[in-house]
Amino acid sequence: MSLSTSLTIAVRSLSAATGALQIANNNIANANTPGYVRQLATLQEAEPFNDGTMSAGNGVVLTGYQSARDELLQTLIQQQTQAQSGTNAQLSSLQQIEPLFTTSTQDIGTQMSALFSSISSLSTNPASSPARQAVLVAGNNLATAFNRASNSLTSLQVGLNSQVTQDVSLINTLTEQIAALNPQIAQLKASGQDSGTLQNQQDQLVLTLSALTGVGVTKADNGITLTTGSGTPLVVGSQSFSLQTKLGSDGMQHVLDQNGTDITTTLSSGDLGGTVQMRDQTIPGLLSQLDTLASQFGTAFNAVQTTGFDQKGAAGQNFFIMQAAIAGSAASIRMAIADPTLIAASSDGSAGSNGNLANLSAIQAKPLPSGNTPGDSYANLVFNVGSLTANATATSGAVAASLLQLKNQLNSVSGVSIDEESTNLITYQQAYEAAARVVSTIQSLYQVTMSMGTAAAA
Amino acid sequence: MRVTNMIPDMQYAMQQSQQAVAAALKQLSTGLRVNKPSDDPAASAQMVTSLANSANVDQYTSNVNSLLSQMQAADSGISSIVTSLSSAATIGVSGANGTTNSADRQAMAAQVSSVLASVVAQANTSHQGVYVFGGTATTSPPFVQASTTYNSTQGTVLIPLTATQPLTAGSVTTVSDATTGKTFTFTVLPGQTISALSTAIAGAAASGILSAGTTATINVNGQLSIGTNSGTAGIAVSTNDPVLGPMNAASGTQVANAYAYVGNSAVNQVQVGDSFSVPVGVPGDLMFTSGPNVIGSLTNLIAALQTGTSAQIGAASNAVSSGLNYVSQQRIPLDNTISQLNSQDTFLSQETLTLTSQQSTLVGVNIANAATNLSQAELENNATMAAAAKVLPQTLLDYLK
Repeated sequence: MSLSTSLTIAVRSLSAATGALQIANNNIANANTPGYVRQLATLQEAEPFNDGTMSAGNGVVLTGYQSARDELLQTLIQQQTQAQSGTNAQLSSLQQIEPLFTTSTQDIGTQMSALFSSISSLSTNPASSPARQAVLVAGNNLATAFNRASNSLTSLQVGLNSQVTQDVSLINTLTEQIAALNPQIAQLKASGQDSGTLQNQQDQLVLTLSALTGVGVTKADNGITLTTGSGTPLVVGSQSFSLQTKLGSDGMQHVLDQNGTDITTTLSSGDLGGTVQMRDQTIPGLLSQLDTLASQFGTAFNAVQTTGFDQKGAAGQNFFIMQAAIAGSAASIRMAIADPTLIAASSDGSAGSNGNLANLSAIQAKPLPSGNTPGDSYANLVFNVGSLTANATATSGAVAASLLQLKNQLNSVSGVSIDEESTNLITYQQAYEAAARVVSTIQSLYQVTMSMGTAAAA
Repeated sequence: MRVTNMIPDMQYAMQQSQQAVAAALKQLSTGLRVNKPSDDPAASAQMVTSLANSANVDQYTSNVNSLLSQMQAADSGISSIVTSLSSAATIGVSGANGTTNSADRQAMAAQVSSVLASVVAQANTSHQGVYVFGGTATTSPPFVQASTTYNSTQGTVLIPLTATQPLTAGSVTTVSDATTGKTFTFTVLPGQTISALSTAIAGAAASGILSAGTTATINVNGQLSIGTNSGTAGIAVSTNDPVLGPMNAASGTQVANAYAYVGNSAVNQVQVGDSFSVPVGVPGDLMFTSGPNVIGSLTNLIAALQTGTSAQIGAASNAVSSGLNYVSQQRIPLDNTISQLNSQDTFLSQETLTLTSQQSTLVGVNIANAATNLSQAELENNATMAAAAKVLPQTLLDYLK
């Protein structure tokens, strides 16, 4: 036991307090950095002093710091982020689709009923030129409404298609960065150090990747391994495997793994999964319903029109131009006649007969080959769009709430509390001050010791 | 639980309460609970059907109104015809009196002649361009001045039509006879020639559909000529066969006081309810020629007054009286339809109310509830903001001086 031992203890104490202050400082500095995991100073008692007769405490050492990481919560957040991005990708498309099927002056349902009204109005005066013109205008409006709905869905699909390419290129950049961090982190771990900063960076990259697509995460000694939902590896050790896109025969970009296998249908979550789901399932489903309705309605209308006679007594011609294939009917339907006298109102060939108009009106109440009346078929479409959007909205809300909850839990473990760090600052400040006081005390003791000799000499 | 940062929670809470305010405001400002399909998919789908029903009911109502004015025009036409016929019958009765001299009878004939002109004018009543007594041939006057002879426009001296010339299959030739009040229609079957038409017309003349002696022959100009071969029997002929071309009355062959019906017997039905249609108008032949030949009876009365005996005048004026009764009877179904239309109008306005209330139940919002919701949402939003304002700025650093 000696003054110099005490001085050593005081110096260690000063150094530990400085280190702990630095950590508190770093925590405060990164309080708002995304993905930052707070660090805790690891203080430990120093090896005890032993002079052979007694053993005594020998002060404190700062052995390092520890990141307050919770990998389970991080994994849950990654999964919820995948679900949220997937739902939001679908929701934003659905919100663009919804107005097309909302009752307005231009939607298909309103135009369809306007066409039937114009026909009914014509039946009170079948030879009236303005009333015939009104039927043509209503028919044209209906065809335009079908075209508009179909074109909007198709252009949305085209937009989603380019989103797929963008997402894939972002995924490739991210997997490269994640793979590059793997060996660095492994090296730090092997040397027993906390890989905090690099690990935070990598976790944040994985979270960003999760927003793009569903990934499976496995942690091993050589770093994390990432796979797609179908098990295709994306990152193994220091190596990353890039995805590619290829234009398929359907005109859509398909996603291929590094072996060239088409994995488009297995992509389920994240922005890419949601985008592909919208592009390949939801929109084609709605388009197909729309095409079927346009095709069956137009065909039924033409069939009745051709059984009647026009104002000049000639056999009726087709009212709508219909293509043979059902797919694309809504986009291509248009008026076949532009001359009001060609409306086949007459059932007996006389100009004033309205017999065939009754048959045209009857289409409204008769089931199409789909089994539903035209109005009910359209109502089903509206219901589908509404329920898809309502479900996506509900899911998005639920996922957001659960994500908030998880983030709160994670923050509870890993987040920086400014108040807490402020108290840490005070704690270590005081520790530093006390240690400094010890140094000055020992200094004065040394002086006393020195002056003992001087006083004796004097 | 260790709380590190309350900002995400506060942001979420503010976002939620602001969404609630926006939703409540939208409901209150639009008066609708359902503004887009996702607000209530099932109600939106039902609205599609309900709105289509509303559009139909609106159109039925508009149909009822336009039919009512058309039918009332027909009804008032018939009403004046009844008055005219009644005055003709009165003239006829006094003309049949043995004491009336020839000069008086000529004057009476002139009076009846003007009555006939007014009856024909009423029978040719049009309402907004629709000839109401023409059946479904509503675009031209249903009663035309009859002539004894009609000639085709095709055929010349150099290139005459021949009996063996084939006609166009499916084309229709009609001969309307003013005397019999009947119309003969000939539709060409594949392979039939002009000769078949001549035979058919001769057959119709023999069976009494057309006046006896009516024939179809090729005349000296090489045209097909259809004629009654009598100075007093008039017809009207039309065809859509391009082989014959339009048939025109030969000039100078018009028969005074004779009118042929060139409309048809068809009746248009107009829908005024989901499963309710009404017949529109009464075809002129049903009204004036298919029972007693009303127009023909006036023609006969004029002829009888001009040249006939008292007994003939008496018989002719009796015929006018029975025509009068017949027309009065035909008016009943028309009046029935008018009263049906009136009651349908009442039903439709009731239906409109029902649908409107159905729609407001489906997608509408109770204004009182919406207003309460809005003020509650505002209150919650204010509370959230106040809490955020109080909590967020708080930090230990404020107290460490």
